[in-house]
Amino acid sequence: MDTAVHLDGITKRFPGVVANDNVDLAVERGTVHALLGENGAGKTTLMNVLYGLYDPTAGRVLVDGAERSFESPRDAIDAGIGMIHQHFMLVDPMTVTENITLGNEPKKWGGLAVDREAARSAVVDLSERYGFDVDPDARIEDVSVGEQQRVEILKALYRGADVLILDEPTAVLTPQEVEELFEVLEELTAQGKTIIFITHKLGEAMRAADEITVLRDGRNVGTVDAAETTREGLAELMVGREVLLDVDKPPAETGDVVAAASDLVVEDERGVRAVDGVGFEVRAGEVFGIAGVDGNGQSELIEALTGLSTPDGGRIEFLGRDVTDDSRRSRIDDGMAYIPEDRQDRGLVMDFDLVENAILGSQHTAEFGPNGRIDWPHTREHAESIIDEYDVRPPNADSTSESLSGGNQQKFIVGREFERDPELVVAAHPTRGVDVGSIEFIHERLLELRKEGVAVLLVSSKLEEVQGLSDRLAVMYEGEFMDVVDPTATTEEELGLLMAGERPDADSTATAETERDVGASAGGERA
Amino acid sequence: MSVRDRARDVLERLAIASATERILISTAALVLSILVGAVLVLVAGRMTACTANEAVYYFGTGFCYDPVLVFDRLFLGALGDPFSGGWSPGGQFSITLRETTLLLFTGLSVALAFRAGIFNIGTQGQMVVGALATALGVLWVSPLVSGVVGTVLLIPFGILVGAVFGGLYGAIPGLLKAYADANEVITTIMLNFIATGVTLYLVSGVFKDPNSPANQTVPLPEYAQFPAVLFGGRQDFSLIALAFGLVAIGGLYYLLEHTAFGYDVRTSGIQPDAAEYGGVDAAKTIVSSLTLSGALGGIAGAMYVMMVLGTFQTGVPDYGFDGITVSILAGNNPIGVGVAALLFGVLKSGTTVVQFATDVPPQLVGVLRGLIILFVAMPEFFRLIGKRVTDAGEKAVATDGGRPGGESDE
Repeated sequence: MDTAVHLDGITKRFPGVVANDNVDLAVERGTVHALLGENGAGKTTLMNVLYGLYDPTAGRVLVDGAERSFESPRDAIDAGIGMIHQHFMLVDPMTVTENITLGNEPKKWGGLAVDREAARSAVVDLSERYGFDVDPDARIEDVSVGEQQRVEILKALYRGADVLILDEPTAVLTPQEVEELFEVLEELTAQGKTIIFITHKLGEAMRAADEITVLRDGRNVGTVDAAETTREGLAELMVGREVLLDVDKPPAETGDVVAAASDLVVEDERGVRAVDGVGFEVRAGEVFGIAGVDGNGQSELIEALTGLSTPDGGRIEFLGRDVTDDSRRSRIDDGMAYIPEDRQDRGLVMDFDLVENAILGSQHTAEFGPNGRIDWPHTREHAESIIDEYDVRPPNADSTSESLSGGNQQKFIVGREFERDPELVVAAHPTRGVDVGSIEFIHERLLELRKEGVAVLLVSSKLEEVQGLSDRLAVMYEGEFMDVVDPTATTEEELGLLMAGERPDADSTATAETERDVGASAGGERA
Repeated sequence: MSVRDRARDVLERLAIASATERILISTAALVLSILVGAVLVLVAGRMTACTANEAVYYFGTGFCYDPVLVFDRLFLGALGDPFSGGWSPGGQFSITLRETTLLLFTGLSVALAFRAGIFNIGTQGQMVVGALATALGVLWVSPLVSGVVGTVLLIPFGILVGAVFGGLYGAIPGLLKAYADANEVITTIMLNFIATGVTLYLVSGVFKDPNSPANQTVPLPEYAQFPAVLFGGRQDFSLIALAFGLVAIGGLYYLLEHTAFGYDVRTSGIQPDAAEYGGVDAAKTIVSSLTLSGALGGIAGAMYVMMVLGTFQTGVPDYGFDGITVSILAGNNPIGVGVAALLFGVLKSGTTVVQFATDVPPQLVGVLRGLIILFVAMPEFFRLIGKRVTDAGEKAVATDGGRPGGESDE
């Protein structure tokens, strides 16, 4: 076997932080190597070093056995390394061909004009060689997310990449699209390309990779053969202790309807209906889940429900009262807790310390702001109890929320909202970016609230999470509920189809793409 | 290490500087600005002609201007020469404190709006409106009272009138911004012109003092003006007014740091999306903070009328615009505004002393003042840039797992 990429003792320091600590990583040519770790373990930093975005503080980068020093991604690309970022870097109104050749267009007339024919045929050749299904003339804005990702991969291949780095490639995909991506990866490695695949999902690493390297706290804690490891073993490596992966959930004891929406319509800024006539009710003591690929109207739905936007139609009820026109503050005061999707813009004031952030939303309540005067000593105690109970690290109430890692920011928000003594918790991606150990704790607390008779509306793009926690599960697609199902009686594949917009009993609505997926969807994230 | 890396390092270190370090940096900046200013004074002195006995000699060379004298006058002169014996509070020092008092209020006015994320350039206009309203209100009520009782009643009344009218004038851009999405920078600048124009019209017409050639109202009775406490002969400064200013600093600090309203203001100022999430009514916060900011500007106007002029006259000096600089210099912190207003007061009053004591042209003194402000403000400016640089670095670190989060503690 020969080594395509060898990172030797890479250390990367940021002011006050060691993101990578003496990491060794050897990736064999023609294999898929997964880089697994919790959020904040230093995976992306390590790959940014390899891609020339960061200068390592110490250590060597060897490509094909030769030591290289990359000043910028341009040098890395020249050395045959390509990186596909989590957020695609594509120009929406341009075609697939234009995007792939952008910056390296074949020229004609002595370099004066782009040779469109040559560009198109190069793209066609490339996609045929690797068995990619892309339309070279389609505009990026018209193609699916999965296809956009293939365009990104083609772009890297077009630039001559032999080593492809994929940063969390599955975050935006449906289960079927994930499966397609894995097939693409197999085809690429079969033809001698090398893949490094960053993920924090155990199942995906085991399903797609040949070898798995686990990073924890910036250190390489082990490289294992994917075929010879178990989920539990990997989880233990990631967290450093044993982890319970399955949620143990007693049956729901539901009470009155706490929140309800009917015929809810929310338009986005372009006037397109992001939520199109949705109706549901959430009862005390139950978890009502909403599954779906990100961007199908879930965000708009919960923003309208929590009072952050005004619906363009329909009615919202909370505790038996019409609250459609109530302000955000009155909904908070009535007992609506909300873990927002966007923790850094919404959920925390980044320049505030944790004490100040502990009362965001309750600054006017009798407990924290009696007579308009904020009770700082009490607020500090409250912040410290959240930090303590939800294991926020570092455990210092005076640190600004900006200085916390994403997972710890999330834990603090979850703690603040759960401890509000709410009637309803609206939780959007409550465990996004949170480490495995804390996911377990947040899930337990969520179920405790449910047991205490709190109504929970859970939105998550993690199928495993919504399926495991919800008592009833709605699947949202293009602003509508495709169906509301019993999560225990529905398979992941059926949910995946619903998430892709296909009703199992209505073949006529199926698109060509989803039809192709049906056969290939075994496995999925759980593997 | 390349130049770029080194620059980055310096910025990063600035971004994490502690309060003590920041005070040290500011002091060092002040000293440095004086040194640079001294060189400028020497160079300018070399390029001017003067007689041999007027010149000063350094390093065996003659210079027409003496930098030591210039800075001595600028600072010690402004403080009324505290080290030379015979210091009296009624001297130049009281002029310094007079300027400080007025700048305190305009600085607080700008700072409050800044904390709410609003750039209030209209403090000048709010001050002018407050000043005229105070003059007219006090003139209208003053016949009803007299003597010490008159002073005790009229001064709070005058301040109240100034605050109310300044506040109402500040509410206009607030309402326009909150409900019509009109940019406050544009509206407040326009309202400044309107304030100047309308007061000129009123004071040159209906409210004009028939016995005065200037465009001014009838003078306020003596008992309706701030009494000079401790500052003997001077009629244009009162310790009571300064005390009001210090109370205003404390009050604004308390309001921002210890009340729910202040929490709403600060949250909307630095992160409007989070404020909205936290149930803050954006429109209400904009209107109320601009109203309060206008009220502080209006009080500056009331002080100007009741302490300095004893009447309202057109052509109110640019205290409102200087308030912007004071506020920025203070990092929009109420307590910092106190310090910055004093520095600014010293520089303003010292300028006249320098002009009396030396031949240095006023433009050059202006340059020296500018240098000092620039140097003192620069470290804060670079600190803000440094924060941005470190932020950008950290955001690039963690792009995995959904939203970027910064890997700082791991």
